[in-house]
Amino acid sequence: MHAQATGGRPVGRQYGDQQRQDDGPALAVPRHVACVMDGNGRWAQRRSLPRTAGHRAAESTVIDIIEAARAAGVEWLSLYAFSTENWNRPGTEVDYLMRLVRRVVRKHAPLLLARGIRCRFLGAADPRIPRELAQDFDDLTTLTAGNLGMTLTVAFDHGGRRDIVEAARSLIRNEIPADDVTERLFADHLPFPDTPDVDLVIRTSGEQRISNFMLWQVAYAEWVFPEAHWPDFRAPDFLACLHAYRHRDRRFGGVPPQTNGDPS
Amino acid sequence: MTTGTTGTADEAPLLGPESQFRAFFDDPRWALAIIRATVLEAAHPQIGAALADNSTFVAHPWRRLRNTFLSMRRMLDADPAVREREAARLNRLHARMSGSDSRGRAYDAMDRATRAWVVATLYESAVTMCRLSGQPLDQDTMEHVYAEYRAFLAALDGDAGELPEDLNDFWRYFDRVVEDELENTEAARIILYRLFDHLPAPALLDGAPTLWAVGRAVVGPLLGSITVASLPEPYRRRAGLPEMPGATTLMQGAYLAAGLTRFLPEGWVNAETIIEALSLSPDSDDPRARTVTALRARMKRASALLRLLTPSSGGTGTEPVPAAPTATGEGRRSAEEFFRQVLDQTGDGHLDWPDLAAMARELATRLDLDEPEETRLYDAFAAWWRELQAALDTDGDGRVSADEYAAAVPSLAGHALIRVAEVLFDATDKDGSGTIDADEYRALFRTAFHRDLTTTDGTYGRSAFVGDFLSFMSGRRRNTPYDPVLTDA
Repeated sequence: MHAQATGGRPVGRQYGDQQRQDDGPALAVPRHVACVMDGNGRWAQRRSLPRTAGHRAAESTVIDIIEAARAAGVEWLSLYAFSTENWNRPGTEVDYLMRLVRRVVRKHAPLLLARGIRCRFLGAADPRIPRELAQDFDDLTTLTAGNLGMTLTVAFDHGGRRDIVEAARSLIRNEIPADDVTERLFADHLPFPDTPDVDLVIRTSGEQRISNFMLWQVAYAEWVFPEAHWPDFRAPDFLACLHAYRHRDRRFGGVPPQTNGDPS
Repeated sequence: MTTGTTGTADEAPLLGPESQFRAFFDDPRWALAIIRATVLEAAHPQIGAALADNSTFVAHPWRRLRNTFLSMRRMLDADPAVREREAARLNRLHARMSGSDSRGRAYDAMDRATRAWVVATLYESAVTMCRLSGQPLDQDTMEHVYAEYRAFLAALDGDAGELPEDLNDFWRYFDRVVEDELENTEAARIILYRLFDHLPAPALLDGAPTLWAVGRAVVGPLLGSITVASLPEPYRRRAGLPEMPGATTLMQGAYLAAGLTRFLPEGWVNAETIIEALSLSPDSDDPRARTVTALRARMKRASALLRLLTPSSGGTGTEPVPAAPTATGEGRRSAEEFFRQVLDQTGDGHLDWPDLAAMARELATRLDLDEPEETRLYDAFAAWWRELQAALDTDGDGRVSADEYAAAVPSLAGHALIRVAEVLFDATDKDGSGTIDADEYRALFRTAFHRDLTTTDGTYGRSAFVGDFLSFMSGRRRNTPYDPVLTDA
């Protein structure tokens, strides 16, 4: 029911409360890592290249990080590829991005399948997304739906507030009485309700903003802000971020650890 | 139309479950032979015209195949009463088909000589199929089978007088028709060159369009050349069909390979199981549907991979973005889709009486209607056709084109359509209880009540039934129980 209410997205593994609380704060490897892939444009400008060259250079980092995360034992990896606000960029850049993403998706589909990575696309609802690209998203999702390795969530045309609004709509559509709505239930109505809380967010290029990214899920996340621009960010940098995370003292503001809903 | 002779003592054993006629059904060679026979039928000017006008085989080939198969099986039933009833039904069905071809020559599906030709092509194709696969029938079997086919014609026509009594005369008759009467009709060309290239996926494979298209692109032209190579030489010459190098070898190889399946354990190749499985749709409540659903999930994955691996057509250039189909919204289809999938049953791009007649035929077949209910249903559809024609045929050519339909964006829910719904309800409600119970529902839709159906106490009332029918026909709602009835290929 919830899957339909949130737009028929596939529902994956459900993490029960019990399991959430068993995982203590002392986890060596964060379960869910999210990357805000920032700095492509500045990387290109610094080299006197067009902004589009920066996006193209981002491709190898994406593949590098996916491999690194999988090898390090990260179970959930989320990449912020395109926000709802990015539609405001110049038309040519948006067009270029759409074609680039399509090429990347098609090029790496067999690799993702072979590595046992489950792929899905968060957002991706705007009619401005070319039909062919939407088809490729669907195909990649279908193709890898049965994979049991790492889950890769690509936030494309994503907005954290919009997801929360969607969840509210879904609750209202399902005529859930106001008193029954708990954090836990609310989270179940978000797109991809199986997604656990984000443990670590990496935002490259030194910018320190949230930018409307997975607002609900990053509630208790640790943030690191490496100075490297995304195209320069590589597997060793990623491992350094995981190392920094290990030395953080996560307190969750006193609530039980890694809660994605009602703490009671 | 009398069917009295079927019951006579010495003809009865000729047809029936034990006959050679029946044994061919499960023979994979028969699939090739039946295509060949259909081309020879369609090459007959009268049959060709009737097929072009009335047949649903282009738009709904799988449904047509299933109906034909079930009908043949009934014609060979052990019980003479079943055979007679089916013969009467077929005669009623064909009596509704008459008209004229593109050159103005009249055709009539009840014409006795023409019907004899249909049986002749089936017999000749069966004999040829055995010959081509290297297992020719001996003279006695050949004569026995001929007697069976004549009995089949007699069951339909009352007597088999149109086919020569003696097998030697039959061959002279067959050669004469091939040389003098057959033409390169449009229907024959469609079967040879269009049908297999555009064959829609059966319900079972509907979820894997890419996979289906790839398989079809290979098999379609092959089937075409195999069939052409197996046709009689005089016809190939007259119709100007191409002689492809190697086609004869290919054709003989195909027949030979199909013939080799006789070494498979008995029961492995069963036409009925195959046809029934092909028409299974995944939401049906058939126990096999779960396996089918699992299979489809794997096929969907294979198709997805295939699409991702195919080089993208647009490359890096600007890709044209046609109106996204998602824009029409879930649960509704565009006027054009509805026209193509539901209204244009014969697949000729126009809506005219044969399209609606085909709907009536499908519903009557499913409900296994007798007279007078069948005529009431046809009459209701005929009234609806007059209503549609008056409302939509703006250029006055007697039929409704897709453009005329789309331009009018019709409400379609006139009095006549409501009448169709009511007649259909009465026909479905066999016991006249005023509601449709689970069994009656299953007869029409071949599935149990749907969960979301507005049923009260496990029955389906008149107003809900009429409402659903109208919303399918005019509101263009998807995913109704009517979809498998009228939309599936």
